[in-house]
Amino acid sequence: MISTHHADPTAPRSPLGGPHHAPPPLSPLAVERILGRIHRPARYAGGEWNSVQKDWAQVALKWCLAYPDLYEIGMSNLGLRILYEVLNDRPDRLAERCFAPDVDLQAALRGERLPLWGLETKRALREFDVLGVSLGYELTYTNLLDMLDLGGVGLTTEERSEDDPLVVAGGSSVLNPEPVSDYLDAVVLGEGEEAVLEMSDALERIGWPRRPGPAGEWRRGVARADALQALARIPGVYVPSLYRPSYNQDGSFARLESLVEGAPPLIAGRIAADFETRVNGIRQVVPNIAIVFDRAQLEVMRGCTRGCRFCQAGMYYRPVRERAPEVAIAAAQSILDATGYEEIGLTSLSTADYSHVGEVARTLHRLRPECTVSLPSTRVDAFSVELVDAISTRGRRGGFTFAPEAGSQRMRDIINKGVSDEEITRCAELAFRRGWSALKLYFMIGLPGETIGDVLAIAEICRRVLGVGRRYHGGRAQVKANISTFVPKVATPFMWSGQDTTAEIEAKVAALRGAMRGRGLELRWSEPNSSLLEAALGRGDRRLNAVVRRAWRNGARFDGWDDHFDYQTWLEAFEADGLAPTWYAQRDIPLDEALPWDHLSSGVTREFLAQDYQRALSGETVADCHWGPCYNCGVPAATGFACQTGEQGPRGMLVRAGAAGAGDGTGPAKARESHWRYIGPPGDRRRHEPAQGSDASVAAAVRADTVTGREMESKDAGLSAPGVLPSLASPVVAAGDESTG
Amino acid sequence: MSEMRQRWRLIFSRDDDARFLAHLDAVHLWERAFRRGDIPVATTEGHSPRPRLIFAAPLPLGMMAERELADLFLSERLSRADLQARLGNGMPRGYNLMDLHDVWVGAPALATQLVAADYRLTLLGADRAVLEGVVAALLRAPELRREKHREKKAIAYDLRPLVLDLQVRNAPDASADAVLGMAEPAADLWMRLRHSQDLGSGRPEEVVAAIADQLGMALLGPIGSGTAEPDRPAGREPVLPAEIEADRPALEIVRPVRERLWLSDELAL
Repeated sequence: MISTHHADPTAPRSPLGGPHHAPPPLSPLAVERILGRIHRPARYAGGEWNSVQKDWAQVALKWCLAYPDLYEIGMSNLGLRILYEVLNDRPDRLAERCFAPDVDLQAALRGERLPLWGLETKRALREFDVLGVSLGYELTYTNLLDMLDLGGVGLTTEERSEDDPLVVAGGSSVLNPEPVSDYLDAVVLGEGEEAVLEMSDALERIGWPRRPGPAGEWRRGVARADALQALARIPGVYVPSLYRPSYNQDGSFARLESLVEGAPPLIAGRIAADFETRVNGIRQVVPNIAIVFDRAQLEVMRGCTRGCRFCQAGMYYRPVRERAPEVAIAAAQSILDATGYEEIGLTSLSTADYSHVGEVARTLHRLRPECTVSLPSTRVDAFSVELVDAISTRGRRGGFTFAPEAGSQRMRDIINKGVSDEEITRCAELAFRRGWSALKLYFMIGLPGETIGDVLAIAEICRRVLGVGRRYHGGRAQVKANISTFVPKVATPFMWSGQDTTAEIEAKVAALRGAMRGRGLELRWSEPNSSLLEAALGRGDRRLNAVVRRAWRNGARFDGWDDHFDYQTWLEAFEADGLAPTWYAQRDIPLDEALPWDHLSSGVTREFLAQDYQRALSGETVADCHWGPCYNCGVPAATGFACQTGEQGPRGMLVRAGAAGAGDGTGPAKARESHWRYIGPPGDRRRHEPAQGSDASVAAAVRADTVTGREMESKDAGLSAPGVLPSLASPVVAAGDESTG
Repeated sequence: MSEMRQRWRLIFSRDDDARFLAHLDAVHLWERAFRRGDIPVATTEGHSPRPRLIFAAPLPLGMMAERELADLFLSERLSRADLQARLGNGMPRGYNLMDLHDVWVGAPALATQLVAADYRLTLLGADRAVLEGVVAALLRAPELRREKHREKKAIAYDLRPLVLDLQVRNAPDASADAVLGMAEPAADLWMRLRHSQDLGSGRPEEVVAAIADQLGMALLGPIGSGTAEPDRPAGREPVLPAEIEADRPALEIVRPVRERLWLSDELAL
């Protein structure tokens, strides 16, 4: 007997033996009554252009991509746009979307006893086969629990019924998913494009989708435990429930033990094939309300070669891959056609490093003069300023943003942020000269090895930059410093480094405030306790599962939002188990200690990270993989990818800067000697001009560069590539708040 | 600014899929549809030119519509069939193009010709007999003092002359009732409200609010309760339904529809 759920019993049977499970959607009136009472109902209403509504009866396996933050944040996420298309392109799969409901909808759903739904067809989360959860930020963990609870899904693997969906997580936080391991049936490490399809196929093959039973009831054809074992055999998939941790007397982590045979001792991240030529995420969903990044996005490059030691994404998404320029141009046009967007962002971790950025931007402008192109992440250098300036047609908008990250040269060498004081000044000079009157500078404090002198150097830089600005804009010139607290991230060289205590951070901020007084200077800093929690959850172990749950029970939600964050709730949740967030966040972890996330690898080896940490502590920098020697991070060996960088051949000329003119003179001699400076071929705008003369002569040099109008179009073209740069004038407009990083 | 060579009057409806859009969001949606359809829309003057698409009256967030009007100015002439095809390629979901007419470019603006609009909505929480009593009293009253809020200022006005007609109709039919699964008393309200350049425009939620006041009930629903307004500052203290209902019983608006707009040459007042 077939269930009466199906409206049309004559519907054609799919080759896979449909019709498939198609429970009725929620009552439209019930949904309407809820949406009619809350703020921004369009967040939960669906129906956007390019959203995909499929007939459930025709689809074997159903995903809901759940993003544990507000619609406006989640819809801006490129990973979600990609996976949505990858899954929906398959006729036998579907993917709907769900975002964390704001507090008003949470209350309304609980009040009306209505479950949280997938946007496309308004079915409760518990009806899906798989929930794909994006975890990119530790302070969304309580939202994840809330979504599961509101969606009618059991919170933990153990508590889930056989009917409940599998909860599968991906994203950069899953490099250490241990603090939420109880709530995740499986975790996908690395890039998900192929893994989601492999998992889908495996799950359908073993019978995970609901089938009609002998009495007409719909049941899954396989037990959850068996499904999990099947998933664990897929490369890159980690099933937390197949392992059990143990701890030492002193509370530190001892080891993780496999509970079943075949559970791999080390899980390495996935790397999607053919990034260079294959583009997913063309028919991007166009939201009906304004979102954070309200534009089309084309990822032109994946990974980053710079090796900043605090940056998790830079370590996680190796190796670097670039889209061929013709692929990028064609894809950008397809995306614009498919969405009707008026703006497209060329995204990556460092778009100015994309070899073909000038060519792609210029060509797009020629082909689509009515559209604007934005470069969301560029660098602190002249090339970036020139590029952003050239593509800006709309007046001299708000502020120009740089991210020097640290104030002193010594500190920037420690974090391997390859930017010199002169470059910062020169970059600022250019931006001021091109008409921006306000500069926003991003810094971190609490970095490993930091002294109060390093912190005060932030104020020095800001004052110097302001001085430059005054020459162009007089009293209108403004420098805004944004200070965040350093958070040690797993899978980076700094993962062993303890965070400063809140008292230390507050003292540093107070000192900086004292030094930053004055007209034209502004200082903003973030809530240090929220960074403390981020670090604690980021470096946490499985004991934190109970803490997260208790905090959620006690009302913690949207912890990443300052207006919601309540440190006291979290502190009590830790203390109830005799744990302390400070132990997790502020402890310097010995290099030989076992780590709760040792079994999960991005491809970069622990040995490399440890070596690089030691290099950092002695102020030694590493060169950008594009032109420096290979430091053996482990990715080529782990993944089989041959990097098109490093020892493949130099892409520019490098010199070791001597003691003269390097750094601010405060760092150890060794650091100054080993500080790499990119010189590049003549005409390369990223060329470093040693600051010998006054600021005026630097400006003159920059001007000369501009007039010559040369750029190194393609790094592949190497040293002799300077071609005349056909003017980038007004091809494109940069994002409202231009940024470099 | 580009030249205006042609003016098309679009007649369209909006259904469930797009009803939770605020007017500005809807405008944005149409602009993208024009871009997808590669339609040569004339643009406005100024620093950031906008496509010339002029609506007769903004459609409130939450409301569906059966016959809306907007004028679209083109910078190149297109045949009716061509424009229809291009619009068809990219129409936002939830909007359906019903008809289009070529209008003289120099004709007066739509908004100045608008004189009235018809609305239909379902009310939950009060039965038909009770509503009929209140409606009759309301129609008999010589004036109906209400307040409207403009930038925190309350402005007193008389709603009565804006109400041209007001009727209680049958509750949604039995089949709809079964689908909606409604347990509480329900009735449909139909009204014709004036849109006047001098007197202002009648708003259906104001009429329902006047009824709710008479009944000692709180107004709830996609329009009028004030919680769904898109540009309410993102302060995170939304009014929760439970709080409203704890105070007074609620008169709830569901499925509000603007049935049609009336232009001055269609309806004599």
